[in-house]
Formats: sequence, structure tokens, C-alpha cells
Amino acid sequence: MAVNAAGRNIPNNIPGYGDVLPFRGYTKRLPKGNRVGKKNRATFNTRTDKTLPNLKAAIKASGLQIGMTISFHHHLRNGDYVVNMVLDACYELGIKELVVFPTALFGVHKHLTKHIQKGVIKQIQGSVNGPIGQLASEGGMELPVVLRSHGGRPRAVMSGDVHIDVAFVAAPTADRYGNLTGAHGESACGSLGYAHTDADFAECVVAVTDNLVNYPALDIQIPQTQVDYVVEVDKIGDPSGIVSGTTRVTRDPMRLLIARYAAHLIEASPYFKEGISFQTGAGGISLATAAYVREAMRERNIKGSFGLGGITSFFVDMLEEGLFEQILDVQSFDLAAVESISRNAKHVEISADWYANPWNAGCVVNMLDTVVLGATEVDRKFNANVNTEADGALLHGIGGHQDTASGAKLTIITTPLLRGRIPSVVDSVYTVTTPGEVVDAVVTEFGVAINPNRKDLIEAAKSDPEIPLVSIDDLVEKAEKLTGSMTPVEVEDRIIGVVEYRDGSVIDVVRQLKKK
Amino acid sequence: MKTAQAGTLESMDCLVTAGEAEKGRGISITMEGASVARFGEAILKTAKETLREIGVKDIKLSIQDNGATDLVLKARVEAAALRLLGGDRR
Repeated sequence: MAVNAAGRNIPNNIPGYGDVLPFRGYTKRLPKGNRVGKKNRATFNTRTDKTLPNLKAAIKASGLQIGMTISFHHHLRNGDYVVNMVLDACYELGIKELVVFPTALFGVHKHLTKHIQKGVIKQIQGSVNGPIGQLASEGGMELPVVLRSHGGRPRAVMSGDVHIDVAFVAAPTADRYGNLTGAHGESACGSLGYAHTDADFAECVVAVTDNLVNYPALDIQIPQTQVDYVVEVDKIGDPSGIVSGTTRVTRDPMRLLIARYAAHLIEASPYFKEGISFQTGAGGISLATAAYVREAMRERNIKGSFGLGGITSFFVDMLEEGLFEQILDVQSFDLAAVESISRNAKHVEISADWYANPWNAGCVVNMLDTVVLGATEVDRKFNANVNTEADGALLHGIGGHQDTASGAKLTIITTPLLRGRIPSVVDSVYTVTTPGEVVDAVVTEFGVAINPNRKDLIEAAKSDPEIPLVSIDDLVEKAEKLTGSMTPVEVEDRIIGVVEYRDGSVIDVVRQLKKK
Repeated sequence: MKTAQAGTLESMDCLVTAGEAEKGRGISITMEGASVARFGEAILKTAKETLREIGVKDIKLSIQDNGATDLVLKARVEAAALRLLGGDRR
């Protein structure tokens, strides 16, 4: 056991994961050696059509064997059919003990439960949102889930921590020679950002599409040079689960108040000037903060440089209004974002590597001025938890939380002080996802707490009387006074989840819940 | 069985259903809801204290919690119990 820099006591070796590198600080771990890569291959004019009649034929052609690693990207979100379809085919072909390496899983992937129970899936390395997370938390998986951030995942692939045997790329549009795009088709999802590293590094790449077009496809995102086989299926997803309609700003007055405090803090900071860049989540408070910042940008005639992240109609409107020069898009959340990426040259698709990988020559998060994030809880040391819920269940992925927090000059976490009776600002978080050293402020309806390491920001905030400055200890005490003290989560010793920091060290672990 | 209710299932409230218990059977409480995992003991303690304060010895309570703080819980328990038993018992 060793205590890491986030104050967590973690074993030196975790069964099913291996040796642990303890987290030492956000810039501490540096790479050694060269990147890995797939085997060389040659293709001549004797092969001009990569299509195969069905998924099983493609799986056979890919050389997939028992115990191998298969990857998926999550741009089809809760509308995805491809993950379930591939695992069903693997089951029917008798290929089992697979390591599934998705960028994220959703409620729709509850279907995988039977494949976990039948041994088709041995391990999941990727975020496990919802039912699969609950299953893992209760001890239903043989090997621990390994969680990585959007930047940590491509780092793991390129450095050789994870070798992808077969990448299955859900492609809303593809041609017979393997040019892929998410910008067009019935199942259009916009950016294919998370799939790029997989397409580049997987030993074999299988594209699954429901819109096979004449060569060459328009607005190619993943090129033919990376794709080995193309399979046409009836449907890759349900469009209503892929993109949401219009993303709306919250109307809840308490959440609007939190957003207003956050916006005031951004405006008081030294970063609110010509060329500001920012990222917000698609959550209610984040989006409302962006709405207030937009008003301030108009009033003070400030133009931003770029908006980053998962992109909603809100950022598209700001781009079209001229409040941003560009949008850099790793995931398009709604219909307006999907339409924008297919017609506006200033709306640019970026890969997860480009977005957030700490081990390349520079990712976009390093250029971010401000990010507005959420969290299930934060603590006295400003550590943030986005992975586990109050009952200790592992229900959420890391997303870009660790990456944007480490890159942005101003990282703000907005949260109501209580969610129901559960406090969001606590003595010590149940799981550390993002270390407090990269979190600058916690904004609640009861006040704004700035990390004491950011004396410059505290001074700047004092200039605006509308920012109710408090200490983080004040917030912890206020919350505890309202809720009373919590009984601890009861857990077994067995580790069911490993939370990697974006550099591949281990920042925390999640243990199996005790049966009630 | 005669029952009475107080509260709602709105966020930060709870719905308390009180049912008659035979004399000498004591207090039995069942709970469900998101906060029960971390506040189960606190909810139980508050409910029992509230019943003691209004002098109720035999009752069945079902608490469907949606994040009520102690203050709200106390009011809901008291109201449900008094609606069941009738009148001001203080």
C-alpha cells in the first residue's frame, strides 16, 4: 500500500489490473520510449471494395480471437445499436473472454449484462454509465473496470498500455473503400472525435454503417487508409437517442443563481478579454453560465477565440453570432451541432488525442482559458468526484473532467450545495477523480469558494461585490449543518474499479458494495 | 387498515404513510429512497424521536424519502401520525 498525492491509500498491485503507479501530481509523470503502432499492411488495385456481407464475416476476417480487446466509440450515445450487435455476434461465434474498451457505455448497453454473465465479456475498460456500473459495483464483474479520461484513453493506446485488436467504428456514412463520416446519414452524430485514435492504432478496423454511399464519401473524417473492412447493417442506431432536440438553459432559479455567480467570477478574472476561450458541459448550470457570459461578451464587445468540447446548439449560436472564431468539436450533442459541423468550416472536428491527450506535442485543453464543470461532490482540498454516487456505486465516467481541469487557466466547479439531502461539498470525497491542485473555484448557491493557492483570483473576485466569497470550510460546515452527518458507505475489500489519472497513474480505486 | 399520509414526492420532501398498530406492538418503520444509503440511521432516529415527542407508542410508518432534511422529515412524520390518530396529543 502507498498513499498517493491525492491522499489515497492504494495497493501496489490490483488483481486484474496489475502494478499500480501512484498519482504524484498533475505534471509529474512523463513518457518513456516510443509510441506503439499496428502492423504494416499493403493494399493494391487488386482490392477496391472492402465491404463484407455481414458483421460475422467481418469479425471472422478481422482475426478476432478469445481474450482479445475490442474498442468502440460513444458518439451514438444512448441510441447506439453497434456495441450490442457486435457482442451478440461474438457470442454466436463462440468468441469469449473479451476485453471491451469503449469510450463510454450507456443505459442502452444494459443488454451486455448477459454477455458479462456468460463470460463473453471478461473486462470493461471504459466508463460504465448506469446499469453496467451498478452491476460492477455489486461485484458482478470478474475483473475491475478501468476508467480513463478522454485524454487518458488515447494516451493509453499510443503508449501501448492498451492494445486494441479490433476497433468497431460506428459510421453514420461510409463508402466501399472505408472513408467514414458522422456528418451525414440517417444516424448522423456529427464529430467522430473519440474514434480517431482507435482507427489509427487498432490492429484491425471494422466500420459499421447504415448509409453506404458512392466513393468517395463527402466530408471524410476517418480516411480509407485506416479502415480494413466495411459492413452495411440495417440500422446503427436510433436517431432519437443519438442527438437530443434543442438544448435548453435551465429555468430553475437556484441553478440560475449559481450560474450567475460563476459568470461573475469569469468576468472578474483576468481571462475575460478579447480572445477568451471556454468549454462548458451540457448540464443545466454550465449552459446557464455560458448564457450569462455570452451577455457579458455582447455588452463589453468581446470576441472569443474558440469554444471547445461536447458541442451544443448554444455554442453554435455563439459561433454564428461571431462571439467565437471557431468551434473545436470532439462530440456533437444535439441536432444543431450535427448540422453545423457538416456545413460550417469554422466548426472543426477534433480527435480525443488532439483534444486532451497529455502525451503529445500539445492538446487543445492547454489553450483553454475557462472551463465550467460539474461534480457529484468536492471536498476541503478541492478534490472532485464525478465517478461515484452517494451510495458508493460507480455510475459515471471521467469524460474530459481531469483533462480540462488540468489544462484550463480557470477551472470552475458549479454545484448546488445539496442534492436532495446529499451534500455536494464534503470533508473528503468518496472517490477522487480530479485532484484539487487543478480546481480553482467551487461555486454554490451559498457562496463561491476559491482555492487558497489562487491568491490572484481571490483578489480579482474581491473587485466584484456580487461575488459572495466564502471559504471551502464554510461550505462544508453549512452543508453538514443542513444535512446532518452521513453514515459511511459499507464496502468489501475487493476493488471493482480503478480510476486512472490522465497520465496513467492511479488516482483512486472503487470497492465492491457490501450486500444489504 | 386505517392509514394517513403527509408529504409529497417532490425533491427534498418525503411521503410518510402512517398505519395503525395494535397496542403493545411498538413502532415499526420502513424506508426507501436515494438518501437512505447514507442517512438511513439519521432518518430512523428523527422519526422515532418525533413519535416519542408526540407520545405515539404503537404505529407503522413507511417513509418514501426524496431527500428531505430533518426539519421536513419531522414535520411530515408528526403530521402523518396525528392525522392517523386524530387530534393534538401534546
